[in-house]
Amino acid sequence: MSNTLEGFNAGASTLSADVDFAFWLHIWLSLGLFLSVVGPMFYFAWKYRADKVKNEDIGTVTHHTGLEITWTVIPVIIMMVFFYYGNTTMQMFRTMPAESQSIVVNVEGSKWKWKYEYPANASGHVHKIGGVYDRDKKTMGLAALYVPVNTNIILKMTAPVDDVIHSYYVPAFRMKEDVVPGRTTQQWFNSSKVGQFDVECAEYCGTDHSYMYSKIVVMEKADYEKWFESTSGDTPKGDFAKDGKSLLRQHGCKSCHAIDTDKVLVGPSLKTRRLTKEQVLDVIENGQDKLGYAMGAMPADMAKGADAEEIATYVASGMKGTKPASFAACSSCHGEDGKGMNGMSPSLISYDKTLISNVFKHGKQGLIGTMPKYLDISDEEVAAIVKYLNKTND
Amino acid sequence: MSKTYFDETHCAIGHPKSTFMQWMLTVDHKRIGIMYAAVMFTFFFVAVFTALAMRIELFSPGGQIMDGDTFNQAFTLHGVIMIFLFIIPGIPAIFGNIVMPLMIGAKDVSFPRLNWATFWLYILGCIIALSSLFIGEGVADTGWTFYAPYSMNTDTNVIMALVAAFVLGFASILTGLNFLVTIHRLRAPGMTFFKMPLFVWGIYATAWIQLLATPVVGITLILAILEKYFGIGIFDPAKGGDPVLFQHLFWIYSHPAVYLMILPAFGIMSEIIPTFSRKEIFGYRTIALSSASIAGIGYLVWGHHLYTSGMSDTAKTVFSFLTFFVAIPTGVKFYDWIATMYQGKIVLSTPMIWALGTIITFAIGGITGITITMIGLDIHLQDTYYTVAHFHYAILGGVVFLMFAGMHYWFPLITGKLYNETQAKIAFYLQFVGFNLLWFPMFIAGYYGMPRRYFDYLPEFQIYHQISFFGAIIFITGLIYMFVVFYKGWTKGEASTPNPWNATTLEWHLPTSPPPLENHSKVPYVDFEPYEYKNGEPVVKFDYETMRRID
Repeated sequence: MSNTLEGFNAGASTLSADVDFAFWLHIWLSLGLFLSVVGPMFYFAWKYRADKVKNEDIGTVTHHTGLEITWTVIPVIIMMVFFYYGNTTMQMFRTMPAESQSIVVNVEGSKWKWKYEYPANASGHVHKIGGVYDRDKKTMGLAALYVPVNTNIILKMTAPVDDVIHSYYVPAFRMKEDVVPGRTTQQWFNSSKVGQFDVECAEYCGTDHSYMYSKIVVMEKADYEKWFESTSGDTPKGDFAKDGKSLLRQHGCKSCHAIDTDKVLVGPSLKTRRLTKEQVLDVIENGQDKLGYAMGAMPADMAKGADAEEIATYVASGMKGTKPASFAACSSCHGEDGKGMNGMSPSLISYDKTLISNVFKHGKQGLIGTMPKYLDISDEEVAAIVKYLNKTND
Repeated sequence: MSKTYFDETHCAIGHPKSTFMQWMLTVDHKRIGIMYAAVMFTFFFVAVFTALAMRIELFSPGGQIMDGDTFNQAFTLHGVIMIFLFIIPGIPAIFGNIVMPLMIGAKDVSFPRLNWATFWLYILGCIIALSSLFIGEGVADTGWTFYAPYSMNTDTNVIMALVAAFVLGFASILTGLNFLVTIHRLRAPGMTFFKMPLFVWGIYATAWIQLLATPVVGITLILAILEKYFGIGIFDPAKGGDPVLFQHLFWIYSHPAVYLMILPAFGIMSEIIPTFSRKEIFGYRTIALSSASIAGIGYLVWGHHLYTSGMSDTAKTVFSFLTFFVAIPTGVKFYDWIATMYQGKIVLSTPMIWALGTIITFAIGGITGITITMIGLDIHLQDTYYTVAHFHYAILGGVVFLMFAGMHYWFPLITGKLYNETQAKIAFYLQFVGFNLLWFPMFIAGYYGMPRRYFDYLPEFQIYHQISFFGAIIFITGLIYMFVVFYKGWTKGEASTPNPWNATTLEWHLPTSPPPLENHSKVPYVDFEPYEYKNGEPVVKFDYETMRRID
């Protein structure tokens, strides 16, 4: 099974053995405490059962100082042992190794993906990898963090300020720390084994909380170095081509947008790459000025009633058939052909490169909801995404 | 045939003729307690079946009967109902109302009209909480903890849930106030604090938490509402706020609230154990004072919910250290209960087997709570099924089980009838087995890294979810059967005498069963300890007409 929780029992991190020791020490001592309560309970319930005890034999003890001190002091001592081990294991996790002897990776958690940014390599290239767990294929390959074996890795983690709290949880390394918008939290690990270890989001974050997986892939140092010094932008496993398909997955577009169907998920379908009739009506009624086109804001109420209906039907159908006379209200800015006057205003026929790029830059607020800005998507990436969408859907 | 509280009542307004209006307007503490019970158990079953729907969904990986968003709303609904509508107000509102005034020889609580108004405030809170189901985007999907900034961003009806929790908080404050004044002012003459039954001690400690901690959650919820709708920026990082601040404020209330749930439950245990051991309780003062000290320490440990939130390491150490000191008085109570059984005469009636069963389940809940008090282990187990299982062992296997124990114990007092013992015991065993089958596998799943609030999961966790599912079916069967047994007992059961269990405390020294409207015929004089037994019989006997001692 490729998609079970990988690596739990590997004992791979230098810290997990200590955590497991503390856990089992606690369980065995606690079992003693448990039996010291439940054992006498069963024994007394049997020995002093009602039909065996004569009324005059019932005892009258209500205090016994020695016993009471014993069952206060012994648990206190055991609790302090637990406190000691709880605290020392915590100190291990929380004492960060020197950054000069570690690899510091910046981690960004956002709904519902993990992204990793490495320090610049010798040729100045910064690897930016990570992305969304592929729910259909049930793989996490390209969403992984690649690290060398026997090396301290410090994760500096944050979330965008308009996002929510996540938690970066690696069961195999017994480690977890919340990822808080507007703050930077840290954790570290050092894996002594080559292998793959699953990462889960442990702080509830909404719709796809249970799909916010990633993976830590621990490699031989030489393999890691070879990849790290490269400038390809690919992952060491070679599954991170900067093509549109991978990019959509990396940035989590498919969590909200259907690509192959007309279905409206969290956001509109990218199959038709056109507004639906309801969306067109909404724009006509309320205007739109958030997309950053050169022609500026579109005023509200450009058309009304039957005219607006007519335009909306026409635009939503991809401007096929006879053009209604009322479309004149639109054509002064969007052009007779609806293609948007050389990128000065949006195309009504299809989400073209200008539109997609503007949405990434400015976010989008419309009928269905608000899409956040994606400022880290470069122009080449936009081009690749547009190319991919054109190829799949035309 | 003398009249009982079912035949006549005092009303808050006027003297209505219809039975229905008499119930709606009643100020009698016993009737109000019964109405609380009726409403709360209705909600309890709504939340139980919401949980069952989630278990069905989790039967195997992938979506079965609902999508992710519905699942998120389901666990929020389950949590909000169970915590705010059922378990926090539960034992104080039901047994605190019905039994506490009887135990201290009072005719009612100090402010009966306020008690009536509080009940209706509680109902208002319930209505607001439930109406969020049918308005706009539906019930909140934040989880019952309403963590910012998620609760600030979601489109669901968070405001309704917050307002409901706020209103319910007020009901809780007023109940606490009423009980505090009652316990201070209306104890029968001669009954000093150290002659009070231990259930009254539990209610007393609880009332202080209700009065002092609940305002904090009120303020927090108001801040959340101001943040969400007026953007004051106290929790929003984009405006310079701090989302973790919300967690601190939330847990400053919600952690003491856990003790608010468990202390009156421990009180029920302390009533049942001596009664069915026919023996005075061991270490009365230790138990009474441990309730008070748990209530005190409970204020200082909220940070143990935030070990992985990015809080400073020094704060973690301090909170962890303090948290271990909650375990000590709790442990001492357990040893005191067991020591009470030593050389007793153990009568294994249904309330007693519920109490003994709870010793097992709560001990597991307590011990696994200590696991996650150890910071290094909590870093691994926080927000996993291990924590979920711990919580349910402590709250369902502790508080709710003891509430059931109390229901079996006081059922003859409240209804004047007896239920069928054999059937009630079958219901117990079904629930006990189902409960452990339902929750124990989650410790293992959690240890292996199954996070909570997951709608879908990796296939290797399937076996644990499936065992849980079958446990849930057995548990719910037993639960329903228990209520059937109660129903049959109330409608067709044998009539009970005023003291069917041979108990010692004042609620069993009433002239009739069920009790008359104003309780004891005369105010008794209390010059005895609460659990005095000699040779298996209660020492203190009363003439129920004059309430003078005849022993």
